[in-house]
Amino acid sequence: MNVEFSPELEAFRAEVAEFFANAPTPAIREAGRKTTSVFAPFDQCMEWHQILAQKGWSAPHWPVEYGGTGWSVEQRFIFAEEYRKADLPPLLPQSLGMVGPLLIDIGTEEQKAKYLPPILEGLDFWAQGYSEPGSGSDLASLQCRAEPDGDDYIINGSKIWTTYAHHANRMFMLVRTDNSGKKQQGITFLLLDRVDYPGMEIRPIVGLDGVPEQCEVFFDNCRVPQSGRVGEENDGWSVAKHLLKHERGGAAASPTLVHYLDRAKEAASKTPSPFGGTLSDDPVFQSKFGELHADVASLGHMEKLAISGHEIANDPAFPSLNKTINSELLQRASTLMSKISGVGGLARQLEALRVGSNVEPQGSEFDLISMPLYLNSRAASIYAGSNEVQRDLISRSLAAGA
Amino acid sequence: MDFSYSQEQDMLRTSVAKLLERSYDFDTRQALVASDAPWSSEVWTQFAELGLTMLPFGEEQGGLGGSIADCVAFAPLFGEHLVVEPYAASTLLAGGALAASGTSVALEWIEKLASGEATLAFAYEEGSGTATPEQTTMTAESVGDGVTLNGEKRLVIAGDAADAMVVVARRSDTGKLGFYLVEAGTNGITTRPYKTIDGRAAATVVFNQVSATAVLLEDADDALEAMLAKAIIVQSAECLGAMKALLTITGEYAMTRKQFGQPIGMFQVVAHRLADMKIAYTKALSTLTYTTALANSGSETARDIAVLKGQMGKLGREIGEAAIQTHGGVGMTDELSVSHFHKRILAFDASLGDHAYHLRRVGQLA
Repeated sequence: MNVEFSPELEAFRAEVAEFFANAPTPAIREAGRKTTSVFAPFDQCMEWHQILAQKGWSAPHWPVEYGGTGWSVEQRFIFAEEYRKADLPPLLPQSLGMVGPLLIDIGTEEQKAKYLPPILEGLDFWAQGYSEPGSGSDLASLQCRAEPDGDDYIINGSKIWTTYAHHANRMFMLVRTDNSGKKQQGITFLLLDRVDYPGMEIRPIVGLDGVPEQCEVFFDNCRVPQSGRVGEENDGWSVAKHLLKHERGGAAASPTLVHYLDRAKEAASKTPSPFGGTLSDDPVFQSKFGELHADVASLGHMEKLAISGHEIANDPAFPSLNKTINSELLQRASTLMSKISGVGGLARQLEALRVGSNVEPQGSEFDLISMPLYLNSRAASIYAGSNEVQRDLISRSLAAGA
Repeated sequence: MDFSYSQEQDMLRTSVAKLLERSYDFDTRQALVASDAPWSSEVWTQFAELGLTMLPFGEEQGGLGGSIADCVAFAPLFGEHLVVEPYAASTLLAGGALAASGTSVALEWIEKLASGEATLAFAYEEGSGTATPEQTTMTAESVGDGVTLNGEKRLVIAGDAADAMVVVARRSDTGKLGFYLVEAGTNGITTRPYKTIDGRAAATVVFNQVSATAVLLEDADDALEAMLAKAIIVQSAECLGAMKALLTITGEYAMTRKQFGQPIGMFQVVAHRLADMKIAYTKALSTLTYTTALANSGSETARDIAVLKGQMGKLGREIGEAAIQTHGGVGMTDELSVSHFHKRILAFDASLGDHAYHLRRVGQLA
């Protein structure tokens, strides 16, 4: 057993820290500070993606032959730690973390050649078309229909909770191609080359935080080429399950949570307690904060074990355990943050939150983000398979003796 | 970073596992706890034969120079089998005090401990618990050439049966903590023995003008902190073993016990409680493994230890209570192992500062 980092790794850390200190533009830094969601402000996020790509660092987790960095697990962890310390906007997960790794695993050579380079470089952004108004947790019941027609499919139906579809130039989606068998059969996985096909319409949905982050996507006799199919027709469920592994596994969440807790601690040290002194001296606050901090520490330990190749990551329930733990910690952290802000979090400040608006926030920068983060993170236990579904999967692994 | 055990550590664990499977099934253990014996001297001898009692001592003191990871490699098995032998108290805590002392008296006792010939108690906890050494009120006073001890110690594991005990007391002149050796039968000691809820032999020990047999270490604050950290890690590993047993037993039970015509584990409320047990176990396993690796490189902080102790106690209680609830009425019985695993966890949580203390510490230190 050994947790020490070698001197070479500390040199690597210095190199990363130096790049993060110099490469981002002021707007990118502002976007980092104003990120109140898993999904950072789009324009600055993609700008930063492109800068990282020029450095060769946009997809550390990809295989080297596709543009990955070839870093050791320790290097990747150091990179993630320094990233959070620098408070930079996280890159969007749909392209780099979902469809990219999926295509690397099971895409055709043609699909890989066409789609992977612009994902890596931050030129393309892919939306994920999975959920439908009638199909959320029970995703396999989806009904958005694709009829083969010559070399094309004709799509009819709609998708919902399609994050950032209004910013996307491409989309991957699940469609129903057969209704005769079990619901999991008859699903097909499609890549859409464009999001402006005739018959396709994207409508943003304003969320509870006031931000149009999610979208609804409508298909009305929308004709798309069959060449965008991944895997066989009617075999899309196994493709989707493969992708979900990437979605739920995700990158290390603990550095972000530690960062939020640091901000909470700092804010609490400046907030008077109604019982006297500051909030950070209050025993009840210390207990709650300590419980949360210890749980975040446990998540960090779990993530480090997993990236080191510990057997914990081989548990079939590991992606579900990871997703459930980190989503609930995000909710607890943001709840604590919004409580610290108190009435300071009640101002609705969408303009001040917009990157480049130059609007002075009411109260502190902490107050500016705490309530939007709390509101937005209610989604964490809903997206990527609700936590109820995750707990079903976890308990099944126990029944199977794992 | 590497969180795997070495081949030697795997072999050690396998040997301990074989020993316990052979001689420590639940019924045998229950008979032992019900008997007058404080523990099984046979099993203790077998531990010594495997080298466990020699393991943590440095080679220069006649030990094997084992690491904390060596101990954590096998300690979960002590939890899985609900072992009542005083390994942590005698070998790690009392033994740790002797090792930190290094006097000729200490070395003589190390030899007896390491060979399995003697067991030692460690008299530390006072009142309703000693979460931090600062709470120690027992006094040590210089009288002539010797030291006189006064005060009361609680939850002294092996306190009545051990050959001697190491007492933690505060010097009345300097205010510093020291380690004092007191042999069994010394005048002025009153011992009230009992068995703990988790089956271990313990005692409340009152010291009334007791002359210490030997002064082991005068200025022991730092040594004590290091020893407690080590003991917390190893006892956390024991606790993890109990948690693992509960998770397995409860998972199996929920899939076989039928009500309303189906296994109760098929009801989502029960399934989700099982999932929460596994979530808690996964956190506990991760934190124990990581903290062990930290301590193995000597880079653990007070905060890391507080996180570990707090998490294990809190998560362990969650698992134990969920296990009893899932078992229903039968979970309430003395006959089933479930409650005994839970009581091992309760004992772990209450000793050396409970989770409420340690987690608030984390909140202060963060």
